[in-house]
Amino acid sequence: MKTITMSFFQIILPANINHLSDIIEDLSRWMEQQGVMRDRIVRVQLAVEEALVNVIRYAYQGKEGEVELQGEIADDQRLVIKILDNGTPFDVCTVPHPDISCGIRDRKIGGLGIYLIHKMVDELCYRREGDRNVLTMFIRWSNGNLPRSRQDAHAGA
Amino acid sequence: MEIDVRKEGQAVIISLTGRMDAVSAPQFDRTVEDLLAQGDRRIIIDFVALEYISSAGLQSILALAKRLEPVDGDVILCNLGGPVKEVFDISGFSIIFPIFDSLADAKASG
Repeated sequence: MKTITMSFFQIILPANINHLSDIIEDLSRWMEQQGVMRDRIVRVQLAVEEALVNVIRYAYQGKEGEVELQGEIADDQRLVIKILDNGTPFDVCTVPHPDISCGIRDRKIGGLGIYLIHKMVDELCYRREGDRNVLTMFIRWSNGNLPRSRQDAHAGA
Repeated sequence: MEIDVRKEGQAVIISLTGRMDAVSAPQFDRTVEDLLAQGDRRIIIDFVALEYISSAGLQSILALAKRLEPVDGDVILCNLGGPVKEVFDISGFSIIFPIFDSLADAKASG
């Protein structure tokens, strides 16, 4: 299921790695339409990929389930991305950061994804709502100026 | 992601194009698996046309380096830019890998 309006994006798909590219492409197209700056789009792509992979591998542990992705332009500066799933409770905010100073031999293969999410977004919140995990990311998407599409709409109003 | 592999002397040059993510990284793993099976030990990865990398891509490169270290092999990286370089810097990978500004410098190293 997909709902896309001027300032709201929603997609619900099976939590499967095969859908990852489609979800990220759809979200990116919506962000472009909103006037989100290119470098911010790439940051969101990375944070969303890491979060979705986490849902698929750890919240559902390879079992079938759905994942919902929402995007919303909250105000002139903040983009809000929400990822919702019905998997095992998993608070990414409590996962310790990896030691990024050690060499190849001692470096752990996993654990980088959640660290990258933290680095890509301005604020990250997790909460359990009923039987759902809700991960909310806040990203500063502009420098406070309205994007051109919205300036035009504003001028025409 | 497109993966181009060519051999130059004792080195193998892997050129990556596009996006190295959780979907495409296994493709890279299979490519290097074949190279290691053939006995290749000096691998140069050229990122000049790579637009994006996620932790899945980083993990693949780290796994390759871990395989090569005990056999005195090398993973040498070059032409990192934009978001790819940023991800390498954030994750500390810029410190643990030899990284060169150009393919020519990477080939001349070691």
